[in-house]
Amino acid sequence: MARVAVEIPKIGLVMEAVRVTRWLKNVGDAIRQGEPLLEVETEKSVVEIEAAVSGRLEEILTAVGAEARVGDRIAWMEAEQAPAAVAPPARSPTRAPVASPRPTGGSASVGNRIVSTPAARRLAAERGVDLRRVSGTGPGGRVQLADLANETASASAPSSTAFAAPEMTPMQRALARSMTLSNATVPQFTLERSVDGSAVQAARTAYAAANAAAPAPSMNDFLLYSLGRALTEMPAMNAIYVDQGGGGIACARGTHIGLVVAVAGGLLVPVLHDVEQLSLTELAARRRDCVERTLQGKLRSDELGGATLSLSNLGAQGPDRFAAMINPPESAILAVGRQRDCVVPRAGGLAIRPMSELTLTVDHRVANGRLAAEFLARLVQILESGDWRV
Amino acid sequence: MEQTFIEILRRALDEELARDVSVHLLGEDVAAGGAFGVTKGLAQKHGEKRVRNTPISEAAITGLATGAALCGLRPVLEVMFIDFATLAMDCLVNQTAKYRYMSGGQLTVPLVVRTQSGAAGGAAAQHSQSLEAWFAHVPGLVVVAPATPAEAYGLLKSAIRLGEPVLYIEHKRLYTMRGTLDDAAELPAIGKARIARGGSDLTLIAYSAMVGTALAAAGQLAALGISAEVIDLRTLLPLDMETIATSVRKTHRALIAHEAVQNGGFGAEIAARIGSELFDELDAPVWRVGCPFAPIPFAPELEAALLPDAAAIVQGVQEMLGTPAQLGR
Repeated sequence: MARVAVEIPKIGLVMEAVRVTRWLKNVGDAIRQGEPLLEVETEKSVVEIEAAVSGRLEEILTAVGAEARVGDRIAWMEAEQAPAAVAPPARSPTRAPVASPRPTGGSASVGNRIVSTPAARRLAAERGVDLRRVSGTGPGGRVQLADLANETASASAPSSTAFAAPEMTPMQRALARSMTLSNATVPQFTLERSVDGSAVQAARTAYAAANAAAPAPSMNDFLLYSLGRALTEMPAMNAIYVDQGGGGIACARGTHIGLVVAVAGGLLVPVLHDVEQLSLTELAARRRDCVERTLQGKLRSDELGGATLSLSNLGAQGPDRFAAMINPPESAILAVGRQRDCVVPRAGGLAIRPMSELTLTVDHRVANGRLAAEFLARLVQILESGDWRV
Repeated sequence: MEQTFIEILRRALDEELARDVSVHLLGEDVAAGGAFGVTKGLAQKHGEKRVRNTPISEAAITGLATGAALCGLRPVLEVMFIDFATLAMDCLVNQTAKYRYMSGGQLTVPLVVRTQSGAAGGAAAQHSQSLEAWFAHVPGLVVVAPATPAEAYGLLKSAIRLGEPVLYIEHKRLYTMRGTLDDAAELPAIGKARIARGGSDLTLIAYSAMVGTALAAAGQLAALGISAEVIDLRTLLPLDMETIATSVRKTHRALIAHEAVQNGGFGAEIAARIGSELFDELDAPVWRVGCPFAPIPFAPELEAALLPDAAAIVQGVQEMLGTPAQLGR
């Protein structure tokens, strides 16, 4: 038996602090490794933290409602088996192969540093994987890409400091940080264009008539669908600026679009992945599920990143038009004003059409005015075309 | 029709002499064919004014060729061994490479210096060196090193037409290599590498004769279940980093192989650039395979022992991956 500390793991890329919302086990309870131990609220969602070892919960150090930083000790467990110590790797001058796999599946370390390749570290950071829990199969126990093949986000890593602003929730703080970053570091410009919603309206009416049971795709679904197509057609817009090595452009593999969702106490931007592969109906189902889980705080961490562009729609009660701020590291955001009937010239006469104002905010490092204008024009064209894969 | 490396070089020179009257061949004994017979018969065909023998002074004839290029000709100078290019260094480095820059672009030096490097057949320490890194260190020069007869043909023609000073390095071990020209093939661009073999697990970067060695190593690695991509750089300066980056982003591992002494070789430059520009892509340390830090010996057995071969590359891969036991099985 051995006393083992329970620490707050790093769950998201930018996560620094959490609030304990519920302990799922009481002191004295027997716990199996991998069983949920407590629930915490991160900046982005409520997540469960699992027990890293099997044993008995001995002492709770952080009460419900209290805040803890990544790496903080929040409880003690009496473990059934002592965690095996991880010895520094033996390195022979001839670089002999690793003789035997480590019994506990830990990585090699030198002092506090995990021996791992740059590519493995990057992938681990992207997936939120704790390298200390990964078996390294490279020379001297070095963790390599292949060792991460089956790893998913889990467990703990030490962190830096959070800011001291006790009146803000972690989510509010994350938002503040992200928007400050956007305003301070992203040179952004906006373009506007109005779109005629007649084709979308007609398609929704027709869908509702034909499918009494299923809800018709919403305006947002049409927007997401059309954005997906426009981004796929114009890969130069489907990219983000990467501020390293003197700066560069990273083109996205696939088309991933964020959807700004207002939730209690802030907003979240879940990402719909590979939008270009979905029909309108599939997209609508995916969007409904995603928004529902966003509101319930049940998003998976992999659903919160990877987008190049986000959609912000303040709805029928919203403003006529507004400009949104880019959500870094994304490179664009489309703000959609409320739809209203307007008098517009059509075929030499006047017509009343349901019009919306689209405002596209773009990272100038990724796209210039001409490209952004072409993109917006193409988006409007798709939305007005009626040519959709339902 | 299959031809040797030498025959194909001769054909490229013959065609360029016929195509452009400003093309002239200069060098020690070139009217009689040169030390390796590359220019054999060209003086008879194009005249001794255009295929000229020169005195045995690399310093003087490099100056002559540079002057001729400045005055509008497109000379192709043969420097018999790259080991002798040391004598031409002052002109090449301080004059030839600098004219365009120091004249603000008013002067150009459309000169190709054909030379020959590498070890083969006991040519010993003064006639076997691979000194390309010295020249690849000089802004204003272009350094080309073909790996096959067909590549040599296209690259020599592109070099003659480039309009810049080019050091064109032939490897003496390749001279007997046979190949077939694809008459429909476009001339390769100077500064563009080619993928000599596709693969997914690691990238072998090589040039000149070492490309063949790397391809042989890739074959041995395939038998061990390792898929190696082989890049033939073709041009060292300017370096086609884009092709390297595309490959390393795919394989996450890189090994650079050259016959030159590993210490301070051109592989060090490539390794450093991969290290700084592709750090996050790397899943293994960048590895180099080159000659030990020693002069090339005369004795054929010692020469063979020193030169990096396919087995040395395979061993390098094993060391890089740290899994020789697994690979050996």
